[in-house]
Amino acid sequence: MPSFLDRQRTVAPPGYNRFAVPPAALAVHLSIGQAYAFSTFNLPLSKLIGISKSAPDDWTLVQLGWIFSIAILFLGLSAAVFGRWVESAGPRKAMLAAAVCFGGGFLVSALGISQHQLWLLYLGYGVLGGCGLGIGYISPVSTLIKWFPDRPGMATGMAIMGFGGGALIAAPLSVKLMDHFKSATSNGVLETFVTMGILYFVFMTIGAIVVRVPADDWRPAGWVPPSQPKKLVTTANVEVHTAFATPQFWLLWIVLCMNVTAGIGVLGQASPMIQEMFTGRVTAAAAAGFVGLLSLFNMAGRFIWASTSDYIGRRNTYIVFFVLGIALYFSVPSIGRAGSMPGFVIAFAVILSMYGGGFATIPAYLRDVFGTLQVGAIHGRLLTAWSTAGVLGPVLVNYLRQAQIDRGVPKAQAYTVTMYIMCALLLIGLIANLLMRPVDSRHHYAGSGTGGTG
Amino acid sequence: MMQLRLILLWILVGIPLIWGVLRTLENAMKLFQ
Repeated sequence: MPSFLDRQRTVAPPGYNRFAVPPAALAVHLSIGQAYAFSTFNLPLSKLIGISKSAPDDWTLVQLGWIFSIAILFLGLSAAVFGRWVESAGPRKAMLAAAVCFGGGFLVSALGISQHQLWLLYLGYGVLGGCGLGIGYISPVSTLIKWFPDRPGMATGMAIMGFGGGALIAAPLSVKLMDHFKSATSNGVLETFVTMGILYFVFMTIGAIVVRVPADDWRPAGWVPPSQPKKLVTTANVEVHTAFATPQFWLLWIVLCMNVTAGIGVLGQASPMIQEMFTGRVTAAAAAGFVGLLSLFNMAGRFIWASTSDYIGRRNTYIVFFVLGIALYFSVPSIGRAGSMPGFVIAFAVILSMYGGGFATIPAYLRDVFGTLQVGAIHGRLLTAWSTAGVLGPVLVNYLRQAQIDRGVPKAQAYTVTMYIMCALLLIGLIANLLMRPVDSRHHYAGSGTGGTG
Repeated sequence: MMQLRLILLWILVGIPLIWGVLRTLENAMKLFQ
């Protein structure tokens, strides 16, 4: 007898409204999107003993910075390693596993805070939470693609938009909870971790309970698969191990890595960058507002660009990202020299919308190229490009800026070389995207059906 | 019943998202002050 968590028990009955599935996916992605707001805990965690200021035995910001880095590393690793399991186990089991890992990660970290053991935070939020991030990120993707064969970009864009939106919720929520729990002997971070761990576990579990997969023969009412699919849209399927050995997988890996590298470095340095490029004109509070604005465009871009890709095609969408990105990055130094702050803000808002759009459009691109059979597992392996870009982007931006300052370049112009390097990275991404061709038919899966993999 | 469940689900995820967006927008407005 199949258990409540098994895939067979999640098959939707006839007449089920497919628009109930995106909220289930959003419940997971809005929760794990908290990762982007983890930095709100860094300062309070560095004052656990001293409370009002860091004591000698308190953890340093450098030590604490590793928690987020480990989590992102394990996001990529777990998505790659557990991708096939997520496909075979189905979305309900996978989402629940993600809830246990992510919620449990907070609770193990809370234990680490109470015992003042940093390794428990590395293990809790970093390793366990990171696995929750990876499994949670890929778990609803193939399900949504199967529910929306007519609009795969819009469907996955909606879920992945949640990952961007999660930080917008978590940042003010963390601050409010820490304010609520703080006392003369505690800055409230321990209680906040416990509360958030329970809250996220419950929210993600609701998503796991609600999620449904379509029956194998289900089609949207009135929808007929196109008789002549577009050149890059396959009706065949490719297994994950086979896909991993095709040039198409690695070209898309480069496409994602370059797009993310160009955006992630800027996102991390947005506040000092605007203050240094417009010295004396932008306060720290206004710079924080700039970061908030970029987060909004990052989130909105996920839904808007991914939905647009359903109409103009995936390859064309990335051509827009790369060509427009190169033009914008190339013009930023001139905009800075001209002192046009509105131009600067608009340029980076568009760049960040395309950064988010790149994340949200890639699952539908993978589905076009490799079919739906194991798209979640293939997506999981492709996310290693994100982990790579997570290191590459900030290192490039920080290192190049420092190198320029060390050579005596004024701070306002220290980013010029960085912008041109970003143009070069985007050009590499553009070439990889232009080289995309359909997968050779010898790689196609010979089995029948869609694999029933949820 | 299905419609009601659908509405409740969207409210469940929509309210925190809108709350977060408004808080962020409030913060973003400081750029233009």
